Amino acid sequence: MNAGKMNDNAEMVSRPAREASSERGKALANVIFNIALAALFLGLFVQAGDLPSSMWEPLGAGSFPRLVLGALVIFNLAIVVQSMTALRNTDRSASVGARQWFLQRRLAFATLAAFSVYALLMPWIGFALASLLFLLAVQFILGARRGRRLLIAAIIAVVFGLGLHLLFSQVFLISLPPGRLW
Amino acid sequence: MPMTDALLSSVEQLFSLATLVSMMIGVVAGVVAAAIPGFTITMAIVLTLPVTFTMSPLQGVATMLAVYVGGGSGGLISAALLGIPGTPSAVATTFDAYPMARKGEPGRALALGIWASFFGALVSAVVLIVAAPPLAMIAVKLGPWEYFSLILFAVTVVASLVGKSILKGLMMSLLGLFIATVGQDPMMGVPRFTFGVDVLAAGIPFLVVLIGIFAVSQLASEVENPEELHQGKALVGGKIRFHPFAVMREVLSRPVNLLRSSMLGVVIGAVPGAGGSIANLIAYDQAKRASKTPERFGTGIADGVVASESGNSATAGGGLIPMIALGIPGSAVDAVLMAALMVQGVSVGPRLIMDNADLVYGMFLAMFLAAGMVLAFCLISMRWFLRITEIPKSIIVPVVLVCCAVGALALNNRVTDLYLLIGVGLVGYLLAKLDYPLAPLVLGVILGPIAETNLRRALMADGDWTLFFTRPISAGLLILAVLSVAFTARRILQQRAAARA
Repeated sequence: MNAGKMNDNAEMVSRPAREASSERGKALANVIFNIALAALFLGLFVQAGDLPSSMWEPLGAGSFPRLVLGALVIFNLAIVVQSMTALRNTDRSASVGARQWFLQRRLAFATLAAFSVYALLMPWIGFALASLLFLLAVQFILGARRGRRLLIAAIIAVVFGLGLHLLFSQVFLISLPPGRLW
Repeated sequence: MPMTDALLSSVEQLFSLATLVSMMIGVVAGVVAAAIPGFTITMAIVLTLPVTFTMSPLQGVATMLAVYVGGGSGGLISAALLGIPGTPSAVATTFDAYPMARKGEPGRALALGIWASFFGALVSAVVLIVAAPPLAMIAVKLGPWEYFSLILFAVTVVASLVGKSILKGLMMSLLGLFIATVGQDPMMGVPRFTFGVDVLAAGIPFLVVLIGIFAVSQLASEVENPEELHQGKALVGGKIRFHPFAVMREVLSRPVNLLRSSMLGVVIGAVPGAGGSIANLIAYDQAKRASKTPERFGTGIADGVVASESGNSATAGGGLIPMIALGIPGSAVDAVLMAALMVQGVSVGPRLIMDNADLVYGMFLAMFLAAGMVLAFCLISMRWFLRITEIPKSIIVPVVLVCCAVGALALNNRVTDLYLLIGVGLVGYLLAKLDYPLAPLVLGVILGPIAETNLRRALMADGDWTLFFTRPISAGLLILAVLSVAFTARRILQQRAAARA
């Protein structure tokens, strides 16, 4: 009857099921992540003790960061405790599903990976060409594989890759990397 | 009189051809961006920022305000025609505008939303003009103690308003404060936490954090689901007919709803961290409670559309109140506006209205002007908008990512900022997946240097740290900060208990 409503319902059924299976993975990820952060901030806290103090003021360069870092260590440990309790309440036999989690989000990670390659290439081949290649690659990754859609993707890559370059370098006078290779 | 001078000077700057043209482009860009599902208003404003570097401060801010006000109306288009909110602030708009469009009145649904947005923006601009100057007069008298406490209050309110866990919200605020300390110390210029790495030597610019968090990581979550990438078929076909003036009378015949929703929007907008994404839901809910026929809400009635759209548009003026009066942004968008002024060398704080009166008056006028431009543009061009909402994400996402790269490069023309951008985007994406709210982090990064400077100034002026608790305003703000955390913690515990029962 109503296409929008039907989509909503389908999602409502699948979402709790999906979240229940990832609950354990999420709790575990939180424990690992926050222990790592707590350790990192503790290290930085110690390191910040070497920052110079000042003769003009009671607080030196290190005091405010140490205040923040100290609080960060405490909050991270609190989240660790909270996640440990959550972890204990989940079904032990359920799989963590890390592999599945990454597979489900493969397009997001592929896009971010392409963005990193884009940033690494840009100083060498210049903004215009790097953007053109990036636009083409990501549209391909996201589904423009053949025929008309690939043609549209190519047109978009050329128009926006070169267009944005011209717009920013000629109209807004913002200089973008020209490329070291030529 | 200096006030009239400032006003005249702001009129002169605002009504120059260059500013009017850039504002008009801003309005169109804002409406179009917000109409595209997956492209948020915040993203649009963040990406406008680098373009404003070459403009005068007022032209730059006016253009960004135009994008902001335009975005407030754009979200309504996909909400009414596709049933998908174009931005989070249009969620409640789908409740009634979409059924109305499906019942064969898409033109009425759109026109109702456009007029309600227009009046909501007008009301908020009026409140802004009345409230900001006196608030600034009080704020100038605040010492560093009060300022530090005010920032603590702002940070805790943000942390408690967004997200499901207050611990995670506070942890993100603190992380933001820490990120802000990387680079040079604000008072002595000593390098901190740079580890001799070139990339970190200049600190982590907050523009990069903004783009990384609000655009890059957001875009990454847009392309997660392969099946969803092929959406965008308009469910409402056929011709859209407009009767703009009949609908204007229809909106104005609901003055109570209009005014209540707008005022709610202003107040919610003025609280740091809350904003359009909350205001539309609360305004809708309140309109439903006050209605004599609450059961008809959700079936496609005018009151629902008016409440949601006037509520979300009014947050624009509300959010500017603390930014202009106190130098504390009310939302992510205001944080970007503040960043724009700071890049231009304008210091933002309670003295802004005294030192740069023409700029502030210009911002007030720009709000009105932008609201009028959005109205005119939407009423003329609404028919073509069905097309825009059909653009697939596989095109939007890479194009916007390239714009993000331009934004990061435009700041200092350093490729290292691009690497930072990717780092921030990836970390932001993973944090969002672990249920961490991202808004507190960004506000922390922006408020960090202000907090540190005020804390150190306070202790330089007087080594007695108990002053933070004994000066009445400072103590009051700290009590409010503790209360906001306590209330949220209680609410969350109650919700958990209810969920278990």
